[in-house]
Amino acid sequence: MRAVSNVPPVTRRAQARLGLLLALPVAVVTAVFFVFPMLNALYYAVVDFDGLDPTPPFVGLSNFTEMFTDAATWHALGNNAIWIAIGTASPMIIGLLVAVVIWSGRSGAAVYRLLFFLPFMLPGVAIGIVWGWIYDPVNGWINRALGAVGLGSMTRGWLGDPKTAIYAVLATAIWATCGFVTMIILSALRNVDVELVDAARIDGANAAQRLWHILLPQIMPVFLMVLTLTLVGGFSVFDIIFIMTGGGPADATEVLGTYAYSSAFQLNRISYGTVLALLITVLAVPFTIMLNRLQRRLSLQGLGA
Amino acid sequence: MVEMPVAVSRRTESAEQSELRRHVFRRTTGLAVRHVVLVAMAALTLFPVVLIISTALKTPQDVRSDPFGLFSSFSFENLRSAWTVGRFSSYLWDSVLLTVPSTVVVIVISTMAGYAFARLPFPGRTVLFYLVVLGLLVPFFTYMIPLYFQLRSMGLLDSLVGANLVLISTNLSFGTFFMRAFFSDLPEELEQAARIDGASESRIFAQVMMPLVSSGAAALAVFTFLSNWNNFLVPLLYLPSGKYRPLTAGLYNFTGGRSMDIGPLAAGTLITIVPVIAIFVILQRQVTQGFLSGAVKG
Repeated sequence: MRAVSNVPPVTRRAQARLGLLLALPVAVVTAVFFVFPMLNALYYAVVDFDGLDPTPPFVGLSNFTEMFTDAATWHALGNNAIWIAIGTASPMIIGLLVAVVIWSGRSGAAVYRLLFFLPFMLPGVAIGIVWGWIYDPVNGWINRALGAVGLGSMTRGWLGDPKTAIYAVLATAIWATCGFVTMIILSALRNVDVELVDAARIDGANAAQRLWHILLPQIMPVFLMVLTLTLVGGFSVFDIIFIMTGGGPADATEVLGTYAYSSAFQLNRISYGTVLALLITVLAVPFTIMLNRLQRRLSLQGLGA
Repeated sequence: MVEMPVAVSRRTESAEQSELRRHVFRRTTGLAVRHVVLVAMAALTLFPVVLIISTALKTPQDVRSDPFGLFSSFSFENLRSAWTVGRFSSYLWDSVLLTVPSTVVVIVISTMAGYAFARLPFPGRTVLFYLVVLGLLVPFFTYMIPLYFQLRSMGLLDSLVGANLVLISTNLSFGTFFMRAFFSDLPEELEQAARIDGASESRIFAQVMMPLVSSGAAALAVFTFLSNWNNFLVPLLYLPSGKYRPLTAGLYNFTGGRSMDIGPLAAGTLITIVPVIAIFVILQRQVTQGFLSGAVKG
């Protein structure tokens, strides 16, 4: 905090005035488009709103009890769990390895870094469309490649088969996320103490040992931060699934996000959709806070960036 | 007695040499492996983008017979029909109308608020700051459904103003946080020197401090522009009639219809991603800075 004592009262008053003035727009927008709809969400959760009735009946907690006894909720939640487990672990591992490979070389780092980051910038709709073509049952490149190497029996409509659909969409999401992980970890690796790595090499540590014992501890705060971002994103995943499968086939790729959307906007069960959306929040926010704390503690210990 | 040290030194020399040779060998295999890994990853990364370009630039007949064969013919026919029949010219215009105003407003408001939070003590600062942080934590999902009905009763549903306002509010927490970090890094002495020279508080903000964070504002602008350009959920929810339809919503609408139109769909996808790739290539420093400091500082 700034030393207030040596600032004359006139200045302090002028600062308070300007501060209020400059913060006014953010306060207004936040109040109207964030706080108000959030409070409304809590209201929607305890009434039964169909989108039309101006005075929806109060139903207490029955939306919540319905949600927890609804098999579709648990099914969607299970898919979210698959999504979070695989969709977090894979980009973290691939991204970390690629970052270390780029970092350990001397040339081309900037080019590769940019190239790998490109998918993360593309709109989800474009990604969904082109991967839909790659998974195409007749002309898609996956089936072509399988046929070419003699695995023609494995070909299928990857997005149309309930057994593979969620993994096919996941693979697309992983493709889109790896570059983000790579870039952030690369930026953390720039601050790594290279002498430690060299010392470990001289002491006979192999590449895996150096990665695990020397590099990873030094970039842990940043690593945890990327972990948080991908993990929390897994709870509220929507775009890519909605675009590629719409939750189908036969609900095979339904997640909380798509279920909330279809409940509210296709079945006009506004309150139920809101309760499902609140579940996403309740699940995601503690993870964010917990990992943020952990990350802060680690960086306070001076373990890196 | 004289022989010994020579022999020893010779033996160590050869040992050193073989060690060196082994080391160089390991280095080259290491480099080769590294090269193979990176090239394979690069091919995997680029393939879908290449597939979009290739499919968009084929002749319509070729798309019908072999839609995903790479670069087997060349024509602008798909682009032409996407632009005119597929209405992608108006989608592009709507994308601009949704992205540019919201980005400008986000930069302006975030810069103002970032300065206030970083350097000006004012009543209510703590409470307001907690709200901004909350905006970073809470997913858009939580309040998107009530927001729909709120916009409807405000008469802002299905309007560019309403959609712009939502895009502004969803980016504002991050923007404020981001700009605050830049203003916090500026030295106290600058402010004091300007004050001694008789500058008013608003002049210190506008003429002394603001020019110093222009690189941050530029990074935020690129970041916000891209995230708004790519946004799918906001037009899907709050522009339901299709009167205004940005590229992302237009593309989605296109996929729902006749699945035979792969050619124009590819062309539309290309129209959507070309600005993104162009910005990415031209402004790569701002882009990476935006994403990095956003992620690391936030």
